[in-house]
Amino acid sequence: MRSLPFALFTRLIPVALVLLAIQRTVSATYRVDGVAVQVVLALAAGAGAGAGSERGAFAGFALGMMYDLGVGTPLGLTALAYGLAGLTSGYVVSITPDPQWWLAAVFVAIGSAVGEIAIPVVKFLTGQEGWFNNRLLVVIPVVTAAATLLSPLMVPLGRWCAGAKRRTWRAIPE
Amino acid sequence: MLSSLSRRRVVVLLVLTSLLLITLDRRSSNSVIDKARQAFAVILRPFDIAAKAVSKPIANAWYGITNYDNLKSENAALHDQVEHQKGAEIEAQTAITKFYELLKLYHLTSVHSYKSVIAQVVGAAPSNFQNTVEITVGTRAGVAVGMPVTDGAGLIGKVTKVYPDRSVVMLITDPQFSVQAQVLSRVDEGTTTDSTPSSVPNTAPSGRPLDSTTSTSTTTTSTSTPVPSKSTPTTNPFGAPPGQTTSSTNTTTTSTLPEVLVARETGNIDGQSAARPLLFSLLDDTALTTVKIGDIVETAGGTKSLAPQGIPIGTITAMRQRLGSRTPIVEVEPNASLTQLNFVSVVLYVPNQAAI
Repeated sequence: MRSLPFALFTRLIPVALVLLAIQRTVSATYRVDGVAVQVVLALAAGAGAGAGSERGAFAGFALGMMYDLGVGTPLGLTALAYGLAGLTSGYVVSITPDPQWWLAAVFVAIGSAVGEIAIPVVKFLTGQEGWFNNRLLVVIPVVTAAATLLSPLMVPLGRWCAGAKRRTWRAIPE
Repeated sequence: MLSSLSRRRVVVLLVLTSLLLITLDRRSSNSVIDKARQAFAVILRPFDIAAKAVSKPIANAWYGITNYDNLKSENAALHDQVEHQKGAEIEAQTAITKFYELLKLYHLTSVHSYKSVIAQVVGAAPSNFQNTVEITVGTRAGVAVGMPVTDGAGLIGKVTKVYPDRSVVMLITDPQFSVQAQVLSRVDEGTTTDSTPSSVPNTAPSGRPLDSTTSTSTTTTSTSTPVPSKSTPTTNPFGAPPGQTTSSTNTTTTSTLPEVLVARETGNIDGQSAARPLLFSLLDDTALTTVKIGDIVETAGGTKSLAPQGIPIGTITAMRQRLGSRTPIVEVEPNASLTQLNFVSVVLYVPNQAAI
């Protein structure tokens, strides 16, 4: 298993730059019912589901920081939300060290929902009101569904970016 | 080392670090964070260009296949619309020319008095909780934070972040957006108490003074004799410019158009997030008697306003009384199509710092 800072610099940042460019161009332009699919959030949740809560939280935080720098949102806002997304989805590793794909997808969905809803919550706490409305009922399901569909790709990619290896089972010799 | 931290400590560390960063960023003029954003934008630009270059042909091909018939019918409908607009355009040009003449005559300023910079919209906000667009001009073109941005149809927002070659524009639908606005309503003669002579200020049912615009063909002669303005109080809302005397002795008696009374109500326009109409909060809570659905809302101007007077914002689409409150709810549909922005214009009007 690679150390987390090493993995952050050599793996996560280059992958995040590519995904951030996709987020800024493709996702922002081609929306689903007016909602921008959050690919960077899907990676943050995937990192949690693939590498565990702690590594997922730090990977999510780093991804969110890059998002804040690239998009112009208040620095730390998305970082906190994506950190929580990685932390939440990482609970699946506490349940089983090697989760099946569908179980990982479920936790990626939960993590991405937590991450997306955390943004208006943090905005509200920092005095930016007005985001709690009926629109959330469309935004959260679309973002969650997209993250779930992307999870078969994002979980292994997130695990690799966070410097973790997939747990393998070995038979104990008699 | 980081991964050896317990889960609870990770949460505490993340929350505290994030709150510290948010606090630092929200403080104005944080040059370190601004420089970091600029540097990151430079790093990110090649990735953006590559992503656009790859995705655009695929998207175009997809749209070409799936929307060809719709595009053809839409194109035909737009051609028809353009033909119908040609007649209206000639009338509008005449009205605009007269408007300019009046502005010049009375030394008034309008949005047309300010220079503007044309910019292209290069990207919408990738977040679902941010109504912004990025445009291609920045400080090098004279753009500054707070300047109003318009498209052909009306106000679209204000500049919130400026870099040398790009700017971020907060759209009018963002919940943080607010601008002083006015609505000019035509008041039917029947709603006024009685027919008042033009020399007496008219009043609307709400008690506010009315601007009266009479269509009487009046010949106004200006003389070069300066007269102190204090000694010549004017009842005409346009007023006589200082240093000029106005005589209406040569007024002809021919009146071809009915008298038009215009009520001006002011308030604030606030965004309510995308896909929801703007909220117009009237200063006068009894003004619902004069404001009507279909009235045009425009920027009010003034020293504390974000934008100069006269930029169209939208049309009133709904009005109702708020339950348990005298303050009415007035909803405004923006003129500009905020989802299809391409070229926009930044009005080089520096608003008061308090308005930003």
